[in-house]
Amino acid sequence: MYSDYFWAALFLLPNLLGFLVFILGPVIASFGLSFTSWDLLTPIKWAGLENYKTLISDQVFWKVFWNTIYFTVGTVPVGIILSLFLAIALNQKIKGIKIFRAVYFLPVISSTVAVAIVWQWLYNPEFGLLNYLLNLVGIDGPNWLAGITWAMPAVIIASVWRGIGFNMLLFLAGLQGIPETYYEAAKIDGANWWVLFKNITIPLLSPTTFFVVVISIINSFQVFDQIYVMTGGGPARSTSVLVHYLYQNAFQYFKMGYASAIGYVLFFLVFTVTLIQLKRAKNWVFY
Amino acid sequence: MKKLMLVILVIFGILVLNSLAMSADKVTLQFMGWEASPFETSITEQSLEQFMKENPDIKVEYTPVSGEYPAKLLTMIAGDAAPDVFFIASDSYRSFQKRGVLLNLTEYFNKEMDIDEFIPLAQDKMLINGEIYGVSSCDVSPVLFYNKKLFDEAGLPYPPNDPEKAWPWDKFVDVAKQLTVKKNGKTVQYGVSGFTIEWVSAFSAMVKSNGGRVFNEDYTELLLDSPEAKEALVEIKNLQRVYGVSPLVIANVQQGGISSTQMLQTGRLAMLVDGSWTLQQLAEMDFPLGIGVLPKFKEPVTIGQAHLYSAWIKTKHPDEAWKLIKFVSSREYQTKLVRTGIWLPNRMDMYEEENLANWMNPDVYPDDFGNMVKYFTNYAELWVAVKVPSEAWSIINEELGNFFVTDQSIDTVISRMKKRVDPILNK
Repeated sequence: MYSDYFWAALFLLPNLLGFLVFILGPVIASFGLSFTSWDLLTPIKWAGLENYKTLISDQVFWKVFWNTIYFTVGTVPVGIILSLFLAIALNQKIKGIKIFRAVYFLPVISSTVAVAIVWQWLYNPEFGLLNYLLNLVGIDGPNWLAGITWAMPAVIIASVWRGIGFNMLLFLAGLQGIPETYYEAAKIDGANWWVLFKNITIPLLSPTTFFVVVISIINSFQVFDQIYVMTGGGPARSTSVLVHYLYQNAFQYFKMGYASAIGYVLFFLVFTVTLIQLKRAKNWVFY
Repeated sequence: MKKLMLVILVIFGILVLNSLAMSADKVTLQFMGWEASPFETSITEQSLEQFMKENPDIKVEYTPVSGEYPAKLLTMIAGDAAPDVFFIASDSYRSFQKRGVLLNLTEYFNKEMDIDEFIPLAQDKMLINGEIYGVSSCDVSPVLFYNKKLFDEAGLPYPPNDPEKAWPWDKFVDVAKQLTVKKNGKTVQYGVSGFTIEWVSAFSAMVKSNGGRVFNEDYTELLLDSPEAKEALVEIKNLQRVYGVSPLVIANVQQGGISSTQMLQTGRLAMLVDGSWTLQQLAEMDFPLGIGVLPKFKEPVTIGQAHLYSAWIKTKHPDEAWKLIKFVSSREYQTKLVRTGIWLPNRMDMYEEENLANWMNPDVYPDDFGNMVKYFTNYAELWVAVKVPSEAWSIINEELGNFFVTDQSIDTVISRMKKRVDPILNK
């Protein structure tokens, strides 16, 4: 009969085929495309390093590049800290705790468009709820999504709100993997909550934390749809990010080659950052 | 037993051959468009039923798309799986034709239609070097919607709907000021909104109205650096920044939550500059709605555009595709949608006095709308975005956004805009 290897290969085949056709194939193809000039409708033309050269002097590219960094710096640290504390808070065995967990996870699975519409209303400078509440305490609310200074912070706040639930879930799983016995032993020795947190929770949670940090950074570098729906990259490109500019080049400006080059720059960025994190992991991640 | 089998086989064979023959006669056309509203889609589908009745040898499969239409159309054509007939946005039409993916309809068109039956801006839109690659569907133009109740309460005259009586800018600002109400330091009613909305492009009409131009004749140079153009743009910014009659709005994305139409309906806004298509929504909103012409600087001007119907160059059924295009661009077809307020007519004769009653649905259009028809035939220009690459238009909107929303001066913004746009226009 057939060997085990055969059956393993057979069962893996559907997933493998999907991976090759829909992920690996396009990844390799777009590497090639980044050296061409192609508008999708007429034949592909070789362009060598033109795209990469243009990229370096393209002011829009640098604007969206820094916007992406801004977005990442704004959402990742705050998001991780908040979701960690949320997970600790919701890790208790009280009745009804599961409802709270579901409530905090709800934004993650909500429709992007619905989230955008609600936040647009909240952020309306004249009639939105946020400025109304700020007014009650005497603060003159900013223009949020309608102005250039506060558009990105507004998007960041909405994104953090949206994403906390997901990381919270990961942290919850990590927390529940820490044996109670450690805490009990430490409490007998007279440790307070901060000591417990610093010397037990953080180190034993580090594999999860590492995973959350890496995934969050990768995802925030690739953000697109929630910004696209909420602000369309505006006003005046203040919330436009790398993937947004990539999308415009590929599907609106007929510059698929240039878009592929942008995609690869993004890839190297994410790859480098992840590599650095992997190398540094030895210092703080305990298994 | 054998005989029975033989008989069954023969009958089966005849049936198969018959259906093969029937399907060989019937042509199936794939038709794709975007869904502006479920209502519009249902009217389209009903009209297509009628087309299929009149043409029993043609079957039309209509796919309305909601979401990113240009990207979808582009990838379908690139993937060699394009629909036979499709909507194409007026600002995509030339880019697609340039790349040789649209069927040349000139011969069909000249045999069965006449370019002069169309309003001037539609002619300008359809003709590329004297040839036709798409037929105009209708017209949409920015107009001035207003809430009559707020005008009555303030004792002010309604904005005119006769372009020859259009309000000069100063008078318009004055009226807007009188309709802006503040309570406890907060504005509870705004005079006007909508001049900065990107897809309405009212700025280009105001620039033209003041004697300026957005581009030169052959679209190789940005001309917004002329004093006339700058003055118009500065005045638009002043509406919000200096006169305080306009709210600050998100200009490039559909506003969720509190929309301008809701503000108009609930009396928080007195006048709204918006595309004529908004009439369908506003007419259903149960408040005293008026429609007028935009204010003018020197001359009354509005702009116009609308999607076209084109066929894929690789369609297997060009003759049938043309039949469908002719049907959907016909007066009869568009009248159904014009009656809802979402479209305006694109034929000169539809605007003639005796034909107005065909489409001027009294539930939607004000009784005196007849005064306004010459706005669309004589005072409307083709939307300039139609003749420039998408990348250039994107930069213009981005820099205008910079200008309207920050303290940057008009000179700084326009000179930067020109430096970025001119090279693209000349590629």
